[in-house]
Amino acid sequence: MDQRPFLRIFTMPAVLCALGFVAAMAAVLQYSLRAYIPGSLDAGGFTLVNFLDLLKPLYARVFLDTVLICALTAIITLLVGYPLAYALVQIERPMIKSAMLVIIVTPLFLGEVVRTYSWIIVLGNNGFINSLLRGLGLIEQPVQFMFTTSGVVVALVHVTLPVMVIMLAAGLSHIDRDYQRAAESLGAGPIRTFLTVTLPLSMPGVMAGVTTAFAWTFSAFATPQMIGGGRVNMVSNLVYQLGLSSFNFPFAASLCVAGLALTIAVLSILGLASRPFKKMGSH
Amino acid sequence: MRRFWLALFTLLLSVPAQAQDKLVVSIWGGSWRDLIAETVAKKFTAETGVAVDFVTGGTIDRLNKEKLAKGNPESDITFTTSHVGWLYANDGLFETLDTSKIPNAKNLADEARISPYHLGAWAYVYTIGYRADLLKDVKFESWNDLWKPELKGKLAAPDFDPSHIIVVAAMLSGADAAHWEQGEDKLKALKPNFKAFYTNDANSQQLLASGETPLQIVLSMNAYYMIGQGVPITLAIPKEGAVLGIDTVAIMKGSKKADLAYKFINTLYDPEIQAEIARLKKGSPAVLNAKLDPEIAKLPGVFTTAEQWKQQINIDAKLRAEKTSEWRKWFTENIMN
Repeated sequence: MDQRPFLRIFTMPAVLCALGFVAAMAAVLQYSLRAYIPGSLDAGGFTLVNFLDLLKPLYARVFLDTVLICALTAIITLLVGYPLAYALVQIERPMIKSAMLVIIVTPLFLGEVVRTYSWIIVLGNNGFINSLLRGLGLIEQPVQFMFTTSGVVVALVHVTLPVMVIMLAAGLSHIDRDYQRAAESLGAGPIRTFLTVTLPLSMPGVMAGVTTAFAWTFSAFATPQMIGGGRVNMVSNLVYQLGLSSFNFPFAASLCVAGLALTIAVLSILGLASRPFKKMGSH
Repeated sequence: MRRFWLALFTLLLSVPAQAQDKLVVSIWGGSWRDLIAETVAKKFTAETGVAVDFVTGGTIDRLNKEKLAKGNPESDITFTTSHVGWLYANDGLFETLDTSKIPNAKNLADEARISPYHLGAWAYVYTIGYRADLLKDVKFESWNDLWKPELKGKLAAPDFDPSHIIVVAAMLSGADAAHWEQGEDKLKALKPNFKAFYTNDANSQQLLASGETPLQIVLSMNAYYMIGQGVPITLAIPKEGAVLGIDTVAIMKGSKKADLAYKFINTLYDPEIQAEIARLKKGSPAVLNAKLDPEIAKLPGVFTTAEQWKQQINIDAKLRAEKTSEWRKWFTENIMN
């Protein structure tokens, strides 16, 4: 007798979704290998010219910038998120814990465009930060945050932070408190206990958070588009600028395929590099 | 109970019948949809008793949807920009128009007769808009004034369409849109003056209102909207002319309500409706017999005579449709990055 009589029925939605994704990716791939016909929506015959165009230094630079922005965002999010996640796990009063959680996850409930506009208000030449600095007499001329990589990264950290904190908190909450107590009973102070016990044991959560933040940031569009103002571009912005807004769908598809390949490559490297750290967490 | 089922059955039958009676118009959302709903659609419904339904979305979304629905269009009428209209037409998505069924079209400006498939609905210009309060002692009499060194890091332009400044640079270099390459060096010389590139009208408004980019190549209608909101913008029309933009209307091929669609377009060209559109959007009527409020008629970028239309820089819509990708790519590679 079949031990799992409903297996096929329950897996059917997942299979259908997977087929849909595969079909969409196949369509993008075939489009990337077709020629663009000026003034037409139809694609021409098969060609490699779209991928050859990607070899221009500009595109290499944008791909490199994208990786840099993703890496910076992931690292800064980790540095900001770790103390928050640690506090979230350590605090025992449910009211404070719930309040913290609500504040941390709120950015996820705001639309990307609304959130980005709010950052424009904060980072602009006449925005909150510059007004504050001017009011305190610290600057005379506004500091340029808009249309810079730092401005884009700050806004991206804001949206990546909730995901990072939730993943880190999940990792930290799985650490057996007995290990920390054992370290303390052997004379280790709080800092030493954290550095030699808690931090190594939380590495699987850290690596999962960094990997997710990196991949999450790679697909960012509205934030680099609006805060970057065309001066800071990521792969998704190029897809919009060169493909969608000028109807060159084959070139847009080739950018997507190259972006996907880059993401897979970077995440694979990250996965390999994180193996020793993940082992630290096995207990 | 039997009465309930009968009522439900009747209701279900009546829903598709009602939908059949509607004329479906595809247009951008927000104020554009409202503009048509409050002017053309209102009059059309009053005259024919046929309701108008709207399909709204971005330029590319609507184009892609209609391409996928080729032969069985989602809408009967489409509003889109003149060069994008050529993409519809080249793909066989537009009906060839029989202008004898649009009597009011006889008053169209020559420039608004875009193709046998689509006609201008209204016009606007892309020109120089600036914050005179932030750019003191700067005058813009020619497009050449954008190249002034004191404007370094002040200028913004649309990132979705660089055709305006590309053609202007070509003209200032003694060439035209078809030979735009001759303006490449001129445009490269403008690079230091660019501070940012805006994504849409809202982004343009935000950058001008905050003073982040006090100088823009801006859509006239958008500038007038901001002026109405209290942003002190000055709109300059250079001596070479501003860059003409035309939004167009067309009937979708395969529409089962072509006769109603013709009536709708004829209503669009009613001089009173055109004057109302001009009043609401501060744009140009597409017909020459619209009687505009003198306050509207005197605005830069609003044309009431054939001569005024001809004074503008008019990029051939078909050429623009063919060159958009090439221009966009060159601009991204050489100016934006």
